[in-house]
Amino acid sequence: MWSWDFTFKILPQLLDTLWITISATIAAFAVAMIGGLILAFARRSTFRLLSWVTYAFIEFIRTTPPLVQLYVIFYVLPRYGLSLSPFTAGVIGLGIHYSTYLSEVYRAGIDSVPRGQWEAATALNFSPLQKWKTIILPQAIRPVVPVMGNYLIVMLKETPMLSAITLVELLGRAQIIGSNTFRYLEPITLVGLFFLVLSYSASRLVIRLEKRMNINHHGKMDAAA
Amino acid sequence: MRRLKRNRVGHLISKGSERVSEMTENNHVAVAEAPQSNQEQTEPIVRYRKVSKSFGDNQVLKEVDFDLYPGERVAVIGPSGSGKTTMARLLMTLEKPTSGTIEVDGRQLWHKEVKGKLVPADEKHLHEVRGDIGMVFQHFHLFPHMNILKNVSVAPIKVLGLSKEEAEERAKTMLDKVGMSDKLEAYPANLSGGQQQRVAIARALVMRPKVMLFDEPTSALDPELVGEVLDVIKEIAAEGEMAMMLITHEMSFARDVADRIVFFDEGRIIEQGRPEQIFTAPKTDRLQEFLKRFELNGSSS
Ligand SMILES: Nc1ncnc2c1ncn2[C@@H]1O[C@H](COP(=O)(O)OP(=O)(O)OP(=O)(O)O)[C@@H](O)[C@H]1O
Ligand SMILES: [Mg+2]
Repeated sequence: MWSWDFTFKILPQLLDTLWITISATIAAFAVAMIGGLILAFARRSTFRLLSWVTYAFIEFIRTTPPLVQLYVIFYVLPRYGLSLSPFTAGVIGLGIHYSTYLSEVYRAGIDSVPRGQWEAATALNFSPLQKWKTIILPQAIRPVVPVMGNYLIVMLKETPMLSAITLVELLGRAQIIGSNTFRYLEPITLVGLFFLVLSYSASRLVIRLEKRMNINHHGKMDAAA
Repeated sequence: MRRLKRNRVGHLISKGSERVSEMTENNHVAVAEAPQSNQEQTEPIVRYRKVSKSFGDNQVLKEVDFDLYPGERVAVIGPSGSGKTTMARLLMTLEKPTSGTIEVDGRQLWHKEVKGKLVPADEKHLHEVRGDIGMVFQHFHLFPHMNILKNVSVAPIKVLGLSKEEAEERAKTMLDKVGMSDKLEAYPANLSGGQQQRVAIARALVMRPKVMLFDEPTSALDPELVGEVLDVIKEIAAEGEMAMMLITHEMSFARDVADRIVFFDEGRIIEQGRPEQIFTAPKTDRLQEFLKRFELNGSSS
């Protein structure tokens, strides 16, 4: 039977770990966004070896389970002198895993920018860096914002995996409460509700971001490729 | 105005390559006060030498020699696929020549001198020389994520290092010149093709290039919008400050605006000369043949 008393007793404990889930998600997504961009550039490099190694890395990370990668970072790396806190290890592990997905998203976005945009930027004598920053990336990212937002939400829902490397986040806390009190109904239900609220807010945020970008840009891209 | 232009070109052509001076035989050099041109000005601003370009097996340009003089307006005509666009793209550094050299204002474009030898240019060198060239594209290529003012002011800020105020001031002057100063806040997608192309012209002009390339600036436009863009180009041409290379299929426009017409076919310059000579007394069969097509459908009006 559902106990409101019990619910209110455990609520503060769960709210404490809610922050861990949120910050781990945001930090890991930041790693994924930056890492993904770096991978996308390395993949495009005219230096063949770099491009090939990047491709192999992306494929390897994508085709192995993130849990295995987390274990490697948290349990194996300390043997080689690199000890990370559960939070840092988790953020890096999830971040790198998702950076491989995001690199593909960036690539699609970059490929969607018509060649004429590059040529116009060259004709105005933009430096390569300015071209990327001012002309190409803003146009490349705009159409892929929804896909990136989707990955953010998927990643949020993957954070319980971090309890495997001893990071006590929402679900981890609920489990601890459960095993201490033999009551799982309330903690697990609350965790479900928290994730529902988080996912929903994240998706609203993405939609708003998308809308704001579209106000400045009436859908149509440059006519010719 | 026309006279002044002619006069200058007569003067220029006589100093040009042999090929050009051939064309001067039936010139009527108008008498008007010649614009003061010092010695440097009569050197070509652009000099193609034995420029070839191949795409795979397809040789698109065949050892082309071509000079463009400061302030000169050259219209490039010729059948589809003859290599006109490629000529312009090589100068804009959008395409790399297979062989030959291009000089801009006395400097090699695609090469740089290292210990007296010409070696392929790097991006830094291209960046230095490219600043003299501007280009207007057939499909405008405005930046869709920026409003009109930003489209025109972004390069002066980022590339020329002007302050935002200064750049916007310059941009507004240019937009005024092309009749687009009432649309500063609009986005490209909300403009007609003709309006977009006028903005694109302002965007190129604001960089104050010494040479402007127009690659069929009206070919992508609805017929009723062609006039407004041609009028803007005519106005700029009349100022006579920049050298202009106008690739066009609008023969009457070429005749009105250009000091010299260059006829391309199969990757070579077949014939060139003054508009009245080219249009009334073409020498080569191929040019006669080419011009006939335009008379037939009456588009030389
Ligand atoms: N990037 C490219 N790759 C392969 N072939 C190309 C490329 N660009 C141009 N060509 C070929 O080069 C030839 C000349 O093209 P170019 O665009 O210079 O002709 P053009 O005189 O401008 O023709 P149009 O009047 O149709 O614009 C054509 O046969 C074209 O197919
Ligand atoms: Mg062309």
